[in-house]
Amino acid sequence: MTMAKRDGPVRFGHTELPDEQKEALRKAVKFEWITIGYLAVSTALVFAVLGNSQAMKAAWVEDVLSFLPPISFLLAARVIRKKPTEEHPYGFHRAVGIAHVVAAVALTVMGAYLIVDSAIGLLGTEHPTIGGFDFFGQTIWLGWMMIGAMVLTALPPVYLGLIKLKLAEKLHDKVLYADADMNKADWMTATAAGVGVAGIGFGLWWADYAAALLISFSILHDGVRNTRAAISALMDKRARTYDDAEPHPLGHRLDEYLRGLAWTEAAQSRIRDEGHVFHVESFVVPAKGRMPSLEQLEAAQEACIGMDWKVQDMVIIPVAELPSEFLPGATSGGER
Amino acid sequence: MGRSGSKVALLLASVLTLAGCGSAYPADPDGTLERVANGTLRVGASDNGEWVDVDGEDVRGTEADLVRDFAARLGAEIDWVPGTEHVLAEELKHGQLDLVIGGLDDKTPWAQHGGLTLAYAESRDSRGSLHRHVMLVPLGENAFLLELDRFLMEAKEQG
Repeated sequence: MTMAKRDGPVRFGHTELPDEQKEALRKAVKFEWITIGYLAVSTALVFAVLGNSQAMKAAWVEDVLSFLPPISFLLAARVIRKKPTEEHPYGFHRAVGIAHVVAAVALTVMGAYLIVDSAIGLLGTEHPTIGGFDFFGQTIWLGWMMIGAMVLTALPPVYLGLIKLKLAEKLHDKVLYADADMNKADWMTATAAGVGVAGIGFGLWWADYAAALLISFSILHDGVRNTRAAISALMDKRARTYDDAEPHPLGHRLDEYLRGLAWTEAAQSRIRDEGHVFHVESFVVPAKGRMPSLEQLEAAQEACIGMDWKVQDMVIIPVAELPSEFLPGATSGGER
Repeated sequence: MGRSGSKVALLLASVLTLAGCGSAYPADPDGTLERVANGTLRVGASDNGEWVDVDGEDVRGTEADLVRDFAARLGAEIDWVPGTEHVLAEELKHGQLDLVIGGLDDKTPWAQHGGLTLAYAESRDSRGSLHRHVMLVPLGENAFLLELDRFLMEAKEQG
């Protein structure tokens, strides 16, 4: 992967990244590669001791699915660097959203499949069979190896998740956020699987299915939540924070600034989130119906772009009154 | 996973509580090992070359010898049940047998009916394909399976 040279400009489309984001992107790429390397080891390790445990199977499938978000992120991080072209005047930022949908749908489908698979095992009272394992000439219970594998794989993803979470906020990257969020919760999957296997050891054959169902529901839950977020982002939902918790505060700041200008009477923007960067259309009503000069408009636009690196693709549209058809819920003063 | 953290903790707590109850670890949900030890080992035997040679009530062959040694170790009498593989597999599945032998390998189609032991021997057929030989035990009877696995591995080492 030809990664950003530390000193050259790094772009998302035609947005040049500030140093803080440039550094965050560099780190995010690094940690996604580390994640992929880690997953390669952990999926191989868990596969080696998979046995007949449904919970281990569910944990393993979750591990395999965990490859998708980092791969999506790394692919998208390359594609969105392209500058807008004649054919793609808005740039290639949507690559992030598409990657997000693909990863989310995969999670949903596998979660649902595992729930059905585990339920069939549980209802059919199929007792999970776990026998011996040849451990350097000693025959030990394979269940111990499974529990050991789960203990080994429980914590590293939590560490990776916490780091990536911070980077996701800086980069305003929802795929990275979803990935980090899932990594962070990985210890619970490992614990559940380990407990399920320990339960088999106590003769509680159903403990395995209970753990498998718990893991499957968590996969499905992640899948549904991410699918919903990814689809609504692709449908130009108003820009929200990186974790979808609230509307992005930038919208409010832009409107406040534009309203505060001497030559405006009212202003309101609509903002869509293209992945990392925003597309902003700001409607302004000039005071006393007097058209602002081109210099005034340009100065306002530059000030807005200066507010945040995510704002680059911005247009200011002087209007006689705020167009309610473009700004649903807008009042004449543009207050929210 | 979010809210399920507390569910995991609950499951962990209940498993640990139950830990005090069992003796063997891993344990058999249906208590096969306990029942067989100093009792009767019901063995299904399907005729298959040098491995299992069924002649009326007399069962011979390398696998039959292994089973005799294993039963002796457990202090168990053997109740031989001759039959074809699929009948024996069904009986094993329904708890009427404790063990099925018949020169089975780890590709056996009866893996849904019973659990497989570790491969204790390898052989090549006339086409040159490798077979890893296993025995079939009741599903999920893990204490019994581990006991048999240990025995088979010891026997393999001693040649």
